[in-house]
Amino acid sequence: MRGLEIRQVTDAELVRDALQGSDRAFGELVRRYQDLLFRHAERMTGRQDDAEDVVQSAFIKAHRSLDRCRDPEHVGAWLFRIGANVCKDFLKSRRATVSLEQVPGLPATADDPQREAEMGSMRDQIERALQSLGVEQREAFVMKHVEGWSYVEMAEALSVSVPALKMRVHRAREELQVLLESYGR
Amino acid sequence: MDSRLQDYLDGDLPLEQLPVELRREAATWDVLLDDIRRTAPAGAPMGLDARVLAAVADKRRRSRPRWFEWLLRPRMVPVPPAAALAAAALVFAVISTVGPSDDGATGEPQVYVQFIVDVPAAETVHLVGDFNEWQPTVELEDPDGDGVWVGRVSLQPGVHQYMFVIDGSDWITDPNAVSYQDDGFGQRNAVVAISSFNGT
Repeated sequence: MRGLEIRQVTDAELVRDALQGSDRAFGELVRRYQDLLFRHAERMTGRQDDAEDVVQSAFIKAHRSLDRCRDPEHVGAWLFRIGANVCKDFLKSRRATVSLEQVPGLPATADDPQREAEMGSMRDQIERALQSLGVEQREAFVMKHVEGWSYVEMAEALSVSVPALKMRVHRAREELQVLLESYGR
Repeated sequence: MDSRLQDYLDGDLPLEQLPVELRREAATWDVLLDDIRRTAPAGAPMGLDARVLAAVADKRRRSRPRWFEWLLRPRMVPVPPAAALAAAALVFAVISTVGPSDDGATGEPQVYVQFIVDVPAAETVHLVGDFNEWQPTVELEDPDGDGVWVGRVSLQPGVHQYMFVIDGSDWITDPNAVSYQDDGFGQRNAVVAISSFNGT
């Protein structure tokens, strides 16, 4: 007698079902990968509402072009590429219209008011410094140091060579160092 | 910044191999990077998935043409099979019957219909319609890169509604279609009537 067999539906199965018109399958893909896309978008844009817009646009694009996902087993990497590209397009369009002073810090979460103030100030400084970086440097820095990607993983996801990515991260660190020193850190 | 410190931060050099004078700076970077990681959000805000799915459904239902209509100069021209390629070179957008066939499964007569549209700025162009359940399964091609996109589909004789999808997101109505049909959401679909070669 066989017992009840429970297993998680694979990404490839979800892609197949979504391509056959299953909204439930596409919804599961959204739930699996929205955190990945949102964290990246939030660090890149510096704003939660902008990050939500980016994630929404990315999934709309993904839904329309799901049939062009060549490797459904790794649909997460494909979705991330779409999200990262939407992010860069968004930032390029925003660059000329938003000054650094308009980029807010993240909401504070600490319980201790004094600590909360310190954390808020620190977040503002880091956020302002990150937003000062060029888009490609910020992208490489965020993936490496915030999201914990390896250079090899980054190279595969962005279709950029490892030496080029290292150069971007190195320059980002150098610029961040100068910026944060100017803020008094 | 010292290249050895960059190597350490890349994970290529252990701390103990750094000169003493660089270890203090390395420790400062470790604290800074930890701060940056701690200020990052844990994940998507609650309800984002529902908003995303609602937007996907809404976009699918209410895709609105936003492309510059001047980019499109289509008109409908019947073209005999032998002249189809020549006609493609002369007009910017053509819908033409280029030859009948039989659907092996149903025995229904099929007519090959060629869609041509001039969209120089597009990176991709798809044809969607009631014949493919409005899914982007028919990709037009621009083999010579001149901005004239061509695609051919096999349709059953009858009346079909269609649109073009530019770059995967911009749905456009053929402004010079012979007729239109309201899509129920305030927009118009282009309509093409296909007759079989024997006139039935």
